[in-house]
Amino acid sequence: MTDQRTGTVLVVDDDPTNRLLLRRGLEREGLQVETAVDGVEALDRLAAPGIDLVLLDLLMPRLDGHEVLARMRADARLRHVPVIVVSGADDTAEAVRCIELGAEDFLPKPFDPVLLRARIGASLSRKWLRDVEQDYLQQVGLVLRAAGEVEAGTFEPTTLDAVAGRDDALGGLARTFQTMAREVRARERRLEQQVGALRIEIDQARTARQVAEITETDYFADLQRKAASLRGGGHIRTEGP
Amino acid sequence: MSRIVSIHSFRGGTGKSNTTANVAAILAAQGRRVGVVDTDILSPGIHVLFGLDQDAVGNSLNTYLWGQCTMPEAAYEVTPPGVGGGGRVWLVPSSVAPQDIARVMHDGYDVGRLGDGFRALVDALDLDVLILDTHPGLNEETLLAIAMSDALAIVLRPDHQDYEGTQVTVTVARKLAVPTMVLVVNKTPAVFDEDEVRERVEKAYECRVATVVPHSDELMALSSAGLFAVGFPDHPVTDRYRALAADLMS
Ligand SMILES: Nc1ncnc2c1ncn2[C@@H]1O[C@H](COP(=O)(O)OP(=O)(O)O)[C@@H](O)[C@H]1O
Ligand SMILES: [Mg+2]
Repeated sequence: MTDQRTGTVLVVDDDPTNRLLLRRGLEREGLQVETAVDGVEALDRLAAPGIDLVLLDLLMPRLDGHEVLARMRADARLRHVPVIVVSGADDTAEAVRCIELGAEDFLPKPFDPVLLRARIGASLSRKWLRDVEQDYLQQVGLVLRAAGEVEAGTFEPTTLDAVAGRDDALGGLARTFQTMAREVRARERRLEQQVGALRIEIDQARTARQVAEITETDYFADLQRKAASLRGGGHIRTEGP
Repeated sequence: MSRIVSIHSFRGGTGKSNTTANVAAILAAQGRRVGVVDTDILSPGIHVLFGLDQDAVGNSLNTYLWGQCTMPEAAYEVTPPGVGGGGRVWLVPSSVAPQDIARVMHDGYDVGRLGDGFRALVDALDLDVLILDTHPGLNEETLLAIAMSDALAIVLRPDHQDYEGTQVTVTVARKLAVPTMVLVVNKTPAVFDEDEVRERVEKAYECRVATVVPHSDELMALSSAGLFAVGFPDHPVTDRYRALAADLMS
């Protein structure tokens, strides 16, 4: 799982040659690459999702690398996007400053491609693991909420569809919830149907009229008188219609 | 002592004929001599369940009512295969010929003659039980059948279209003091709770429910090709018919 090294890298550098070099190198590694020419453009791009890692130059016009780092750390949605600073300033104090600002790593220029590759790989793996964990926690949250909803009778099985697609224990739990809820609902529907069908309400007045029409005839009166002897096997001639 | 039993329902299509035919087959399998009369002259059908070919039928209930034969002369033996031990079934069919049905509708007949015929049939065939498959509604022949019956089973479906008519039938039958009157709830959807159905229906009509028969696709599929109780002796629906048969004879 820690071999998860694909993703989209945002290369932020004001020098076109550096951007080109980095793009080539990274694409050869199978990574997707996007570029920004300064801090302003970088933050613009980061406002939309999809970036897994930022390679950040420090000295740039408009908005420099330090400022980008500071703003990313201040933004809850960007705080966890890893940043590797690639800088021409090769001194320890600068590296410490960047790392304190939240950079995950610091590489001096000119960078060693092998080292850069290793660091990018490690960063992406950590990011990926974190994403998986975040995702898991979020889905655990969904299942917990579903449990409450099941209890309250407001659970809608489709809200767990995404979790139910997992092939782990959490997915199994979500599917059980869905099945349970669907069975409960089906049973409720059957009961409603039965209760409706078995609500035997009879219009007594109308029934009485129908009964009277049948029984208030001479034929019926005759039959009523003779019923007992008929059952005893007596032969009678009732009047025909 | 022979018994006369009527199977009735206020509406058509509730399952009277199937109930009649299966109860007859079960009683015959128990060694009884059983007569069945299709008094549903306007919409005859039970002969199909017994596999009686109407083309081979000369006399029928119609020819009897027109004075052209005796009732026993209109009876055909339809004992189901495999029934032994002295049990037999005879059927007096009603004619399916359109002109015969039209003549009954147009001219009517002497209802009193019907009652005499039942007696003659019981005597001539030495029947233990005579079962009358009736016409829906409460016309004169049905009222006569009920008045002559020792037991009456009223078939209804657990459906609003059957409830009021059933009440009419129950009330009228009470006025005729039928010694044994039971309800048969038929075509009950499988998802319904049987005890709940029984309880509700008994309460609504203040009348005992002899059995709650589930709706059965198998029965429907077989119904024109033979007797269900014979083809499926161990089926839950057959158990219900058996319970009803016992009830009607006690
Ligand atoms: N328990 C049952 N389950 C399913 N179908 C049934 C059941 N009882 C009767 N039927 C079907 O209902 C239809 C009418 O039955 P039938 O016995 O001819 O009624 P009736 O004589 O009251 O008109 C037939 O197609 C029969 O197969
Ligand atoms: Mg019928």
